Amino acid sequence: MEPGESTKQARAAAQLRKGVLEYCVLALMRDRPRYGVELLHALEESGALATSQGTVYPLLSRLRRDDLVTTTWQESSSGPPRRYYALTDSGRAALEEFTRVWPGFRDAVDTFLTSPHLPGTPHHSPGDPA
Amino acid sequence: MKTTSDLVHDYLAAVEREASALPAERRQELVADLAEHIEVTRAERPDAEVGQILAELGDPRTIAATALAEAGNAPSWGTPAPAGPPARRGKVHPVVPLLLLTLPLFVTALVPVMDLASLLCGLLRITGAVLLCTSVHWTGVQKTAGVLLTLVVPSTAVLLWQETTIAPAGDTPALVANLVMVAVVAVTAGWLWRTRRA
Repeated sequence: MEPGESTKQARAAAQLRKGVLEYCVLALMRDRPRYGVELLHALEESGALATSQGTVYPLLSRLRRDDLVTTTWQESSSGPPRRYYALTDSGRAALEEFTRVWPGFRDAVDTFLTSPHLPGTPHHSPGDPA
Repeated sequence: MKTTSDLVHDYLAAVEREASALPAERRQELVADLAEHIEVTRAERPDAEVGQILAELGDPRTIAATALAEAGNAPSWGTPAPAGPPARRGKVHPVVPLLLLTLPLFVTALVPVMDLASLLCGLLRITGAVLLCTSVHWTGVQKTAGVLLTLVVPSTAVLLWQETTIAPAGDTPALVANLVMVAVVAVTAGWLWRTRRA
């Protein structure tokens, strides 16, 4: 594959990731607070959402400033204390809103990518009912 | 041979340097978050090379660019590059500053008007110049040339003509001078109109 092509594909993945990453991070905190390294491990294991790890910290910082998450320090049995991130009420609301709109969004994209008859496309093959 | 703490120190210093456009508090927070990450990861993976841990964290430039993009505005939809052009003023139609710069001058140059009307025309032209400078339709060089040729040069010429004795006396030279000035301004306005950006 040409290097230019792979760069383009990487860019498409990066664009997509940018839109959904913060909701995936919020979703990871849905059931319990998590600390930073833990969040990064989970993202990494997902494959498609893996990103340069350091770039998640500015995202976490913004989520904290926007009052979508709060942080608390907790001692650990091994090593230094960890900063745990937990959802606030507005963080939970944002996650629920995204959870509500995502299926429609995903299905619409799937429709465009897979259907031979795109919605709204005039299709006048012979024999088609007008 | 660099020690482990040297590597970490250099890495964090690079992040701090690359993120110098961030507010100090935001930058300290970012560096503290990354320092904590390195410390926790080293505790959890004691066998991992610190170089490997830093490589996984990523290029300081990428991290700083992301932090700058996040700091710029709330939605994370934007690019991790420095934010786009700042909110531009000057949503007026490009013809407005050009008309304001030219029409009042034509009136004062060709029709004898009274002081108050002449003052008003001057104000309209200054408004035109301000609109030209804040417009999105021209580059800085074009704006500078436009203001010079339609406002500064004609006004200076008029001032010199009226307030000094360097100009020849009589109506004919005055009329010719006025016509030349009007032509310069009209040509400049025409040039600005043709070279404007959509």
